[in-house]
Amino acid sequence: MANLETALKECLSSIDGASAAALVDYTSGMALGTLGGTKDFNLEVAAAGNTDVVRAKLRTMELLGLKEEIEDILITLSSQYHLIRLLKGRGGNGLFLYLVLDASRANLAMARHQLRRIETELEV
Amino acid sequence: MTAVRDTTSASLDALAAEAATGALTGERGVFYLAAGRVVHVESAHTPGLGVLLTRGGALAEDGWWEAVDRDGARHRVGRRLVDSGRVAAGALEVCHLGALFDAAYFALAHDPRAHRFRPGAAHWLGALRPVPVATVLRESRRRRDLLHEIWPDPLVDVAPLARVPGARATALPARRARVLDRVDGVRTAADIAEDLAFRTYHTLVELRRLAADGLVTTAPRVPARPGPAAPDPCGTAWDDPDAALLRRLRDALEAL
Repeated sequence: MANLETALKECLSSIDGASAAALVDYTSGMALGTLGGTKDFNLEVAAAGNTDVVRAKLRTMELLGLKEEIEDILITLSSQYHLIRLLKGRGGNGLFLYLVLDASRANLAMARHQLRRIETELEV
Repeated sequence: MTAVRDTTSASLDALAAEAATGALTGERGVFYLAAGRVVHVESAHTPGLGVLLTRGGALAEDGWWEAVDRDGARHRVGRRLVDSGRVAAGALEVCHLGALFDAAYFALAHDPRAHRFRPGAAHWLGALRPVPVATVLRESRRRRDLLHEIWPDPLVDVAPLARVPGARATALPARRARVLDRVDGVRTAADIAEDLAFRTYHTLVELRRLAADGLVTTAPRVPARPGPAAPDPCGTAWDDPDAALLRRLRDALEAL
């Protein structure tokens, strides 16, 4: 029964190594809610940019004729993980959760698991 | 006290600077502000929050109307829906933000001069997740640019749409195909969005893509489209409410 604010807060507090989180509408590329981020790491820009990543992957799957759904997308940088989780719920069509993790502190399997749990609690 | 400025966005900027509370009515939409932040926007061109929630399946229609009936007058419908457990707070916020930014896009489309500002007026939904005026203005601009990149004809947003004769669609993604199915020469983007309980901006993206692919075009003008698409059962018409009231009053007097 979480609202946006608490869902994002939970991302940062319960997932080890998480430093920023955003809920993004990937049709418009707008961040509906953001938390964390610094002046060197603008989450609004990250939201818009990662929208292109999601769209490109969806488009590729369309071209390949794959009927599957994307659960999550993982991008590994040298010191960070970026995790994108597409929301499934009734109203969640077209939304993804975006999470920035510190690679040295994060446990990827746990992070994916936690993110899935937060997603069900958001009940979008 | 702020006078209405030359453009809607200038009026909103001024109201934000004053931390004003009230409703700014324009030709294409109404902005509700609380303490200088936008709490809700309504437009004739976008389905309301009730449609998105009930038709999208997040909420039973009875539950929506019960909340409107019981707490509409107290401006607490949103709170009621969450407190009674009918809808999750997150789902309501997401739907609400979707509806707010969609309506703002239309209300700011040509950025006309707003008609009037009613200080103190509040929306029956209540404040869910207020958004700064600057964010609303920036997002509307960004959406306008994004749509322009896909297909630079803003008429697609508001005019009745028709299929291009002879053009054949091949292997469209499911959502675009559902939108195309509803293009019939009469419906506008708003009608299609309402019919599918989609957010309007998403529908506009699909329609502009269909237009860019040469599958959809604006329909030739049909004489006298029948009335507004749906009467607003909550009495929160986008029309300037006082003008509408005066017109009804005049009609009633003439009928005597």
